[in-house]
Amino acid sequence: MRVSLKWLKELVDVDLPVEQLVDQLDMTGTKVERVVRTGQALERVVVGQVLVKEQHPNADKLSYCRVDVGAGEPLRIVCGATNFAEGDKVPVALVGATLPGGVTIKRAKLRGLESEGMMCSARELGAGSDASGLLILPEDAPVGASYAEYAGLADTVLELEVTPNRPDCLSMVGVAREVGAVLGADVRFPEWDLATSGEPVDQAVSVSVEDPELCPRYTARLIRGVKIGPSPDWLVERIVAAGARPINNVVDVTNYVLFELGQPLHAFDLATIAPSGGVARIVVRRARPGERLKTLDGQDRALDAGMLVIADERGPIALAGVMGGEATEVSESTVDVLLEAASFDRASVSKTSRALGLISESSLRFERGVDPELAAVASERAAALIAELGGGEVAPGIVDVYTRRVEPRPITLRCARMNAFLGTSIAREEAAAILTRLGIAAEPSGDDLACVVPTFRPDLEREVDLYEEVVRIWGMERVPSTLPDGRERVGGLDASQKVERRIGALMRACGLNEHIGLAFEDPRRVELCGFELGPDEQLVELLNPMTSEQSHLRVSTLTGLLEAVSRNQRRGVGEVHLYEVGRVFRTSPGRKLPKERTVVSAVLCGAWDRQRWYERPRPLDFFDAKGVLEVLLEGLRIDRWRLDASEHAWLQPGRSADVVVRGEVVGWIGEVAPRVLQAFEIDGAVAALELDVRALARASAAVVRYEEIPRFPAVKFDVAFVVPREVEAETVAFAIRSYGKPLLADVRLFDVYEDPRDARERRLPEGAKSLAFALEYRAQDRTLSEDEVRSVHERLVERVCAKVGATLRA
Amino acid sequence: MGIVEKIVQLRDEALGRIAAAADLESLESVRVAYLGKKGELTAVLRGLGELSPEERPAVGRVSNEVRDAIEQALAERRAVLEREALEQRIAAEAVDVTLPGRRRPLGHQHIIHQIVDEIVDVFVGLGYRIAEGPEVELDYYNFTALNHPPEHPARAATDTFYVRDLSTDEQSGRLESDVLLRTHTSPVQVRVMERQRPPIYVLAPGKVFRRDVADPSHLPQFTQIEGLVVDEGITFGDLKGTLEHFVREIFGPERHVRLRPHFFPFTEPSAEVDVSCAMCNGEGCRSCGGEGWLEVLGCGMVDPNVFRYVGIDPERYSGFAFGMGAERIAALKHGIPDLRLLIEGDMRFLRQF
Repeated sequence: MRVSLKWLKELVDVDLPVEQLVDQLDMTGTKVERVVRTGQALERVVVGQVLVKEQHPNADKLSYCRVDVGAGEPLRIVCGATNFAEGDKVPVALVGATLPGGVTIKRAKLRGLESEGMMCSARELGAGSDASGLLILPEDAPVGASYAEYAGLADTVLELEVTPNRPDCLSMVGVAREVGAVLGADVRFPEWDLATSGEPVDQAVSVSVEDPELCPRYTARLIRGVKIGPSPDWLVERIVAAGARPINNVVDVTNYVLFELGQPLHAFDLATIAPSGGVARIVVRRARPGERLKTLDGQDRALDAGMLVIADERGPIALAGVMGGEATEVSESTVDVLLEAASFDRASVSKTSRALGLISESSLRFERGVDPELAAVASERAAALIAELGGGEVAPGIVDVYTRRVEPRPITLRCARMNAFLGTSIAREEAAAILTRLGIAAEPSGDDLACVVPTFRPDLEREVDLYEEVVRIWGMERVPSTLPDGRERVGGLDASQKVERRIGALMRACGLNEHIGLAFEDPRRVELCGFELGPDEQLVELLNPMTSEQSHLRVSTLTGLLEAVSRNQRRGVGEVHLYEVGRVFRTSPGRKLPKERTVVSAVLCGAWDRQRWYERPRPLDFFDAKGVLEVLLEGLRIDRWRLDASEHAWLQPGRSADVVVRGEVVGWIGEVAPRVLQAFEIDGAVAALELDVRALARASAAVVRYEEIPRFPAVKFDVAFVVPREVEAETVAFAIRSYGKPLLADVRLFDVYEDPRDARERRLPEGAKSLAFALEYRAQDRTLSEDEVRSVHERLVERVCAKVGATLRA
Repeated sequence: MGIVEKIVQLRDEALGRIAAAADLESLESVRVAYLGKKGELTAVLRGLGELSPEERPAVGRVSNEVRDAIEQALAERRAVLEREALEQRIAAEAVDVTLPGRRRPLGHQHIIHQIVDEIVDVFVGLGYRIAEGPEVELDYYNFTALNHPPEHPARAATDTFYVRDLSTDEQSGRLESDVLLRTHTSPVQVRVMERQRPPIYVLAPGKVFRRDVADPSHLPQFTQIEGLVVDEGITFGDLKGTLEHFVREIFGPERHVRLRPHFFPFTEPSAEVDVSCAMCNGEGCRSCGGEGWLEVLGCGMVDPNVFRYVGIDPERYSGFAFGMGAERIAALKHGIPDLRLLIEGDMRFLRQF
């Protein structure tokens, strides 16, 4: 809403500087988005008086003048115009002025004589089309004054952000009422007299509303014998300040009243409406299939069935509340004007306006809601103005189809409860005064206020709505700050929230940086990766995605992480270590909401670091990811877990596994398949993992029991088993542990050896590997003797060899 | 030469070699040469048995004295040499302390989640618990129960992502679904009030989605933090005090807070909360666009219509709610010029915070 301060000041006294007014509006709920000073284009244009006018010695058509501009020596100005005389007052553009046409005035020599400014025509000032000569100002124009100010061009326009609950503030009167309440000033509402004559309107116009749900009220008035012409300057100035374009006096008046009172109006040329039985018959109905309308903006539009239209016998003549039709618009030849002032359903106008991509001052207001009570008032106001400006006579009466009447709403405001609710101690009288200024009747009734909310405030429905009115005007800054004193309140994170935090801390301790990826997914990437979905499961599909790359929701965070790896590489960052904790989605037929699962995932690519003085970079691989996994599980106090070698489409075969915690698969780990890396344009290997956070939270031990720290020394033996290459280390370790009870306290794999493929001499049999373990034997209650342990150890080694098919390495 | 002279000569020899020993190794060889099993003094002492009983005490005494003298000299020399050896080692081991330390790069938490955790901790300190809700939501929780009228513009398919509903076979018109990506964290309010009776003190951080093309100041997915309090006797002043405490904890104790009346469908009264600009302290400068204040959150008293949807009696209970965007706070607090940096995963960005 654009509010001209000049116009506003006619409605309410505003004695304070603009900055303070803006501040006060901001702080009472009317946000001022911008303050625009108009008339600024005419800076450095002042009122001057021609003192001397001489013939230019070198040019017949030029004169050479001395012009008093109120300050310093009179200026010397060379001028081409002839319509002025010594003593005339004219607008003078000083050196440095930039005129609306973009010309900047400079000191210049014209035919040998220096000119120190320019005397202007109306056209040069953008004040009209007259370029025939200088704009001669009245004799009383003060020499030296700013021309813009003198001519009343200077104004300040406040651009207000009006919240959707305040349709009343989409009018000058509404804003004036608000400003009056904020400043404690009285408002001067516009007044008018309406004289009517001739045949009553209902002899010439009939209205039928077929859909009262969508049109609670429709009024029509008739002004006969109007002379169409330009509007007077004051009116043009105001509607221009409000953001409209002047068209002709009738249309300008409808816009003026729209801005002044907030009621959208429409003027039809009566002659263009198909008569029916001698009267213009207006029908408010829904559009029929296939109907079209050429709107005022010249567009021929196909209407959806169901859009509310104003129609005559022949078909639609206007889109209700949105825009009029071209065929029935007021033109230079219009004589009789049919004036519509109506109330239309908010949702219907909004839908039509959106469907057609057509937003007008009218649709903006109807979308927010226009008070049905206003229609007849505004119609009268507009008719009176049209008659005043365009002559013509207003037909007596109004056709008024008002089916869904709105009434002022009584609400009781309990002062004690208000203060208890706000935490304030606002006196009843103070509250009453605030409400009264806002146009809400507030009469004392016992300890309370009996209020009546006017129809222009549809947002005030409940008692609490009145609390808000009181507190925002009284001043939110005056409300004392307190903290709730609830007694039964205990703060904290729950177990799974704590686990989630811990997961993040552990990933960072491993050197991983947190990424936040988008939840959107491209189904082609899901197909590329071959993510596994259950038999019934499918991706979650967006009905209105922004791009085909973001048309679904992710089932894994891996794709987003790989995209980040690729982006880093493209930007020259080769060492990428990222983790993410986020949700993934899948759904199945019959489900309304999809299944949401939180996962933690990680990608490692390149080395941990660039080359350092103490270390060469080493590309990260499966075991670096597994190291992260081990730290994570240790940190979560999860001890019973293992990796089962497995194959997944997105992982490289032979370097991938399922993570199994207490017999349950909780995720996967592996190196990303070369095919996938290629599709993401990633160089080098990427080791990755993804685990289910809830499953980790369930397995994470809440309490760890103390185990006694060994008091007696251990006896240590090393042993190297030679086994076929495909035997897993864990199989051997498991055998060692199970045969080692009760004395075996610790088993550690410390060496893995295979003959290099091109080795000249083989140390191991073909296809074999050596796994060397360090074993520690210990008793809780005594120091073991080496002999005692040796026999146990030898038996253990024999049994392990037999179990896993191992021999001992020589 | 008598035996005593021989012993004295040995002593002098030994003491001379001890003094000359340059390192612990040669000192040890001196010890072995005189006091070892095959040492010269040992040999002499071993020969004492062959002396006559008259000679024995005197020679014995002398040889004991000599042995003690040599041992003492050895000990003293050893101490000196050990000290020298240690000093040499220390000198040799001196390092350039300005060389970088050996380390693996430390991982960093995403700045958005640092902010979320920081805010969570402030409210946990005020006695709040953390609530969560689904990111794919029902229209009912996202709009209806939050008092959004059916024609509310936020419901438009231009603003909100809708999700295919698989619970019904007929997918009437493309966008008629009432399943959507939540556009704010406020639906968590409704879910909490449905399952829990007052007193309620919860904070709900989470991802939200709006149909905005990613640009320097918009992301289609961002992070909100929602707060909800419902209890007996909760006042607008409580809301104000709570937010003032929060803003000073997060932005610094010297910052000012102001509430500007505003409109939200699910709170009444409603306000936007501004924090004074850190650069100009409310005076207006370039970094705050001349406003002096930066908008950081929206808030208000829970609207009675919302209470009605979840069956809480608005005459008995009152409450407040507030919501803020973590990305906006990140941008304000850390001067992040382009929100897209937050979702790109650029290591150089992530490691800054």
